[in-house]
Amino acid sequence: MKKILFLIVAVFSVYLAKAQFSGNVYDEDQNPLPGVTVVLKGTNTGTVTDLDGAFSIQAKEGDVLVFSFMGFQTQEIGVKVEKTLNVYLKQDVVNMDEVVVMGYSDKTKTEISSSVAVVDAGDLKDVTSDDLGSMIQGKVSGVQVVNSSGQPGSSSQIRIRGISTIKPGNEEPLYVVDGIIGGTYDPNDIETVTILKDAGATGMYGARANKGVIIITTKKAKSEKPLVTFKSSVGMRTADQGHLTMMNSEDFYNTTQELYRDPETHEIDKIKFYQDFPQSLKERDFSWTGESFTPAMVQNYHLSVSGKKKDFSYYVSGTYYDEDGTFTNTGYKKINLRANTNYKLSKSVNLKNNINIRNSNTSAYDYMDMYYTYLNLPWDNAFDSTGHARYVDSRTPDWWSRDNINPLHSIDNSDYNYTDFSLDYDLVLDINIFKWLTFSSSNRMSYSTGKTHNFVSPKAAGTYHDKGYIFENQTNWKGFVSTNLLKFKFETGKHNISGLAGFEVNNGYFNFMSVEGKGLPEGFDVPSVASSELNIAGSNTKDYFRSFISQVNYNYNRTYFVTASYRIDATSNFPPDSRIAHFPSLSASWLMSNMDFMEGLSWWNVLKIRASYGITGDPDIGASRYMGLFSLNTQYNGNPAAVPYQLQNYNLTWEKTNEINIGMDFGFFNRLNMSVDLYNNVTKNLIVLASQPLSQGFEYRWENSGEVINKGIELGLNALIIQKKSFEWNVGLSFAKNKNTLTGIDKPFYTTVSGISQIYRNDAEIYTFVLPKWLGVDSETGAPLWEKLIKDENGNVVGSEATSQYAEATPQEVGNALPDFVGGINTSVSYKGFELFANFVYQYGNDIYNFTRRFMDHDGHEPYYNYMEPADDWVRWTKPGDIATHPSMLNAELSRENSSRYLEDGSYFRLNSISLAYTFPRQMIKKILLKGLTLSVNANNVFTLTKYWGQDPEVNLQQSDWAMPGVSDFKYPNNKQLVFNIEVKF
Amino acid sequence: MKIIKTYFVIMVVFAMALQSCTKMDVFPSDQITTGSIPETADGILNVTNGNYSMFKDVLEFNGFKDDNNCYVRQYFQMTDFASNDIVCGQKTEDPLYYSFTYTHSPDQANARYFWYISYKIINGANTVIEIINRDDKFTDDVSQDLLGQNYFLRANCHFNLLRFYSKSYNDGDPNSNPGVILRESASEDGEKARASVEETYNFIINDLKTAASLMKSHTVNEYASKEAAWALLSRVYLYKEEYNLSNKYADSVINSGRFTLETAASFPTYFANTLNSKETIWAIAFTPVDNRGKFGSIASMIYSDGNSGWGEEFASQNYRDLLAENMADVRWSFIDTLYNGDEVQTKNGIPVFYITKFSFQDGDPNLASPAMMRLAEVYLNRAECYAHLNNVSGALEDVNTIRKNRGLENDLINSVPSGKTLIDVVLEERRRELAFEATTVFDYRRNKKDIERKYWGYHIRGLTSSTVDPENPPEGYDELVVKWNDPAGVYYIPVDEILANPLCVQN
Repeated sequence: MKKILFLIVAVFSVYLAKAQFSGNVYDEDQNPLPGVTVVLKGTNTGTVTDLDGAFSIQAKEGDVLVFSFMGFQTQEIGVKVEKTLNVYLKQDVVNMDEVVVMGYSDKTKTEISSSVAVVDAGDLKDVTSDDLGSMIQGKVSGVQVVNSSGQPGSSSQIRIRGISTIKPGNEEPLYVVDGIIGGTYDPNDIETVTILKDAGATGMYGARANKGVIIITTKKAKSEKPLVTFKSSVGMRTADQGHLTMMNSEDFYNTTQELYRDPETHEIDKIKFYQDFPQSLKERDFSWTGESFTPAMVQNYHLSVSGKKKDFSYYVSGTYYDEDGTFTNTGYKKINLRANTNYKLSKSVNLKNNINIRNSNTSAYDYMDMYYTYLNLPWDNAFDSTGHARYVDSRTPDWWSRDNINPLHSIDNSDYNYTDFSLDYDLVLDINIFKWLTFSSSNRMSYSTGKTHNFVSPKAAGTYHDKGYIFENQTNWKGFVSTNLLKFKFETGKHNISGLAGFEVNNGYFNFMSVEGKGLPEGFDVPSVASSELNIAGSNTKDYFRSFISQVNYNYNRTYFVTASYRIDATSNFPPDSRIAHFPSLSASWLMSNMDFMEGLSWWNVLKIRASYGITGDPDIGASRYMGLFSLNTQYNGNPAAVPYQLQNYNLTWEKTNEINIGMDFGFFNRLNMSVDLYNNVTKNLIVLASQPLSQGFEYRWENSGEVINKGIELGLNALIIQKKSFEWNVGLSFAKNKNTLTGIDKPFYTTVSGISQIYRNDAEIYTFVLPKWLGVDSETGAPLWEKLIKDENGNVVGSEATSQYAEATPQEVGNALPDFVGGINTSVSYKGFELFANFVYQYGNDIYNFTRRFMDHDGHEPYYNYMEPADDWVRWTKPGDIATHPSMLNAELSRENSSRYLEDGSYFRLNSISLAYTFPRQMIKKILLKGLTLSVNANNVFTLTKYWGQDPEVNLQQSDWAMPGVSDFKYPNNKQLVFNIEVKF
Repeated sequence: MKIIKTYFVIMVVFAMALQSCTKMDVFPSDQITTGSIPETADGILNVTNGNYSMFKDVLEFNGFKDDNNCYVRQYFQMTDFASNDIVCGQKTEDPLYYSFTYTHSPDQANARYFWYISYKIINGANTVIEIINRDDKFTDDVSQDLLGQNYFLRANCHFNLLRFYSKSYNDGDPNSNPGVILRESASEDGEKARASVEETYNFIINDLKTAASLMKSHTVNEYASKEAAWALLSRVYLYKEEYNLSNKYADSVINSGRFTLETAASFPTYFANTLNSKETIWAIAFTPVDNRGKFGSIASMIYSDGNSGWGEEFASQNYRDLLAENMADVRWSFIDTLYNGDEVQTKNGIPVFYITKFSFQDGDPNLASPAMMRLAEVYLNRAECYAHLNNVSGALEDVNTIRKNRGLENDLINSVPSGKTLIDVVLEERRRELAFEATTVFDYRRNKKDIERKYWGYHIRGLTSSTVDPENPPEGYDELVVKWNDPAGVYYIPVDEILANPLCVQN
């Protein structure tokens, strides 16, 4: 009783002097922060915020409250008369306790011993796209992103730490969505992107990890109260033709005159020229590219609702994305729906359900329509007098372009559509068996179906397909992944040990069915109405993966860390004897900043040394590559027919990469964060299509041969240069240098696409161009010159000379498609509610084969193809003595054949994005019941500095059937875009 | 509760472990493993059909299907564009252009694909030959006939390879000149040297004799038959200058009674109906689904109805002059002149005379089933043999047999005109009859006659349309005459073969 009385007195006496203050603590995204410590400065009095981020504390005017929370910057606020305090905590620049999603397990930054980069939603805001690659370009060191096409809905190519394989096929990293391999997502739903770069991290994905792993985690509820977020983005885009401009009528006319230069006098024979090309042609000036490439609109609308109840949380969202193409009649539309829910069934059982549904529709185009858009002459008009695109064929009078084709008419009378529907359902069950042991079962069922619809109306007649043409292809894919793990965790004093072990089963089933036919009645575009040349095709494939997964993590006093993982994979892609493969990995780190001797250096927040070693693999070769096969997908005179298809090789085995990584992380003054990584990745037993003598009836056989070594250095730096109460300036830099070397192959081999060759030989980089070397123009004759190497009887080069005979020119190594280094610069400045962000990307040292120049800079070889406007330093030879870059049009035999003439420096520096955002002060918008309101404007692909004389220097890096890495063919130009965004939260 | 949970977890793990033990072999759904071909009822029949299909199909090569890559398309282009029957009306990126200009290289796609697909057919043929010869269950007549067809296909492919990639029999010493690589088994070692020209001929003749002994007479001409083997023997012996043997097999074909020549009335529609004609000995069947359209049909380069084809190569002036000796010649039906009003339209300065020998099956401008051998050739083989054996009446009789059926019954040749030799008479008739059918260029070489191409066209390298002078023939260009034994007329062995097979020597 005495005690109670005393308490009452004490409370009362305090009450006299102090008042009760209450308030809420939020993070920068206005989400309430539970568990924040609130302390009265200079005392031990304090409290902790509740689940809604609310607190109340007794204090008097003039007191200072200190708010601190792990991972956030500590903030001090003086107590004023106002009763309710709203406090917004900023995240630490260097936050070692931030949880990083690593796939099968999550770890704090402190615990990570490998090379891992994290990009979160806030870093992706500056780019409006449906493609993750374009959003992370230049933001992560060691990650090269190539936007090789501006076609709506296209994906960029992502290469992590160089290129480790030389077989044709998928070069993209492995994607993991919400902890399960594969899956679909909408970029608006991304919470974080984790990029695993070394084997210490990727080892857990063993067999499929050798191209790196990208882990995408979608959003979940953060606050208890329902939060509704609506974001709307609307903008315009234009085609980025770079330095490529096609000639107008007059320029083309004047250039064509060069063909009429008299060989004796070197003067133009105007009489004959005017006879063949009347001067009235100059009046006819039609811009094919101007008509076909027009500004296009891009729109993105995203609505999400999230919230939590006691045992239940939800995040539900919908996105509508609509992107028109700059090229006539192209576009991409997408609807994406997601529902992430979490049920706590009991104290020890948790059930997670994620559903993603996506439906997209792509309007694509025909390559030849793009081709003729660039090459048709300005003297020909696409439209008739009524303004409609006119039909053209070889009987059309007064048509000057080389081929009698009007691409605009073809486009008007054709469709190239692709629709896609996909569904992913994830079910994750976690059962806590003992305090130290959890069983976790992650399962995903995926289904996707796609339909291609290609149609050419009979009105377009024989342009490409006479009498009308229809092709439809229906694909179905079904996938199933189930991962079942036992996870354990012990903490005894300074020894902490955790780990997991389990099985994974992964099956995929794919089938397609296609129909094709010709002879369509006008106005109809379904297969049923096709009258002739009906064709059907269809087949199916399966693939099976079985894996055993295990990992052990140990740390001593949160200072020394070791992680070991062991994975065994089996896949149906390899023959029975080599089906099973083993993938160990080991990583260790020493967090020196936790050592006693660092204690005095309080400005030095983080010092960590990391090392990892591991083996990863790449099974992406498709099914049955080891079998001897005859293909049955043809017929002779209507009878089944089998054709030799593949040579058998039961010795085919896995391609594996041994990866070593050494890295250091530094953090200073809580403001500067830096990472350095050195790596050496050796991919052994490269799977190659080994050339066979054609006289065996086969081009190649799947074999293992040689090694690729990728070694490099990566730097990442993030500095908070100015940090004032209402003014901040932040700079991030990334730099990655990679050196690629091929070794251990039996004999050099070449790949050749469109007559352009690349060599694969020991001690050279892959993607090295082998072409005759261009030496310019003979100033006496105006003839093209190439280099001819003179060899002695042993084949050694003993000299060289210039030749005007293309056939005599020696093909030699003249460049390489891989860059020496790539990176980016990011900077943001914020002042009060304003934030200005800019992202620069750069690439240095790669060569691009400008294949389109063969057609557009052709020295009169194709007198009825248009030319591109020349660069300032191009000079055409007209008379003896001219120092020229371009040969005489009358003495240019074979001048446009493939040679280093068209190989150009692909280095560039680009202002990739710049954005300005304004977030309204909370007080202002509270009155209209909003929790947040942000207006922003983004410009993407703003300017590019490059010497490359073509569209833009981002050029395909994927080896494929018709494309060679580093070769720029007629491509869908990239986009420049300007987008306005509004984001509302309530 | 905890026990239940533990039990559940153990069950799941156990089930997973079981799952992972299941068999993981995945067999393709549209391909058959080589080993299981003899085990299916129609295995060898399907492979045989596959061997025929490769003459007409576009197969993947260098990673993708290029419509240019088709056996028969290249078979005709790589021979006829090198002769003087066809003039080039436009330079092109397509390597077919090098056949006009004789500027070949070891890495040109058409010559590489033709080599590849020929040996792929040979691989398919060897697969069937080995299965039937190995297994006793294939002794029935049907299987033995299939065996004969595959020997025939193997011989036919080796012979065409020999014509493309080796010097002709009369050019130097056939015992030392390299022929082609003889593939006798589907499983032999990849590295193998070229046999001599003589050895190659003997191998082919051997195969054809075996084929003739195994095959029956057929009523359909889209498959090989006993008579097809004889016809090919007649051709092969003619090239090998063994005229009596060539005659013997020509007689066998002509006397078999299976074939008759089309008449002047029916011949104009022959090429649209080769499969239904009694003149055809062997043709490659194209059904409407095999229509290769503008990008891949044989017709596309030489004919266009406006937009059906590229229509860039035309009947040459030199050939038209030969036909013009008698305008009643029904072989004019295969020349389609493109008019612009009353004038012949030109393309890049070259007058447009389209060629229609590969069009109009089912009325389609791009569809035809090209005849690989027909009766007229056998008569002309015999005429050429008679000419070499100085049998004037025999030779002229065969020539006149052709002329009677081509609208020239009033213009028969009863004696060798002055200024011409008997060989000239036979070869001229042969050219009129068989132009555009992959034979003219070999006729010149076999008879050591140079190829004259003294007309405007883009076989003249570096020509621009501003230089074409329609009033006067071209003069002073190197390309106007090609020597009969010009080494540039022999295609290079594909670079792929040279790199992967060090035993194979380059031309």
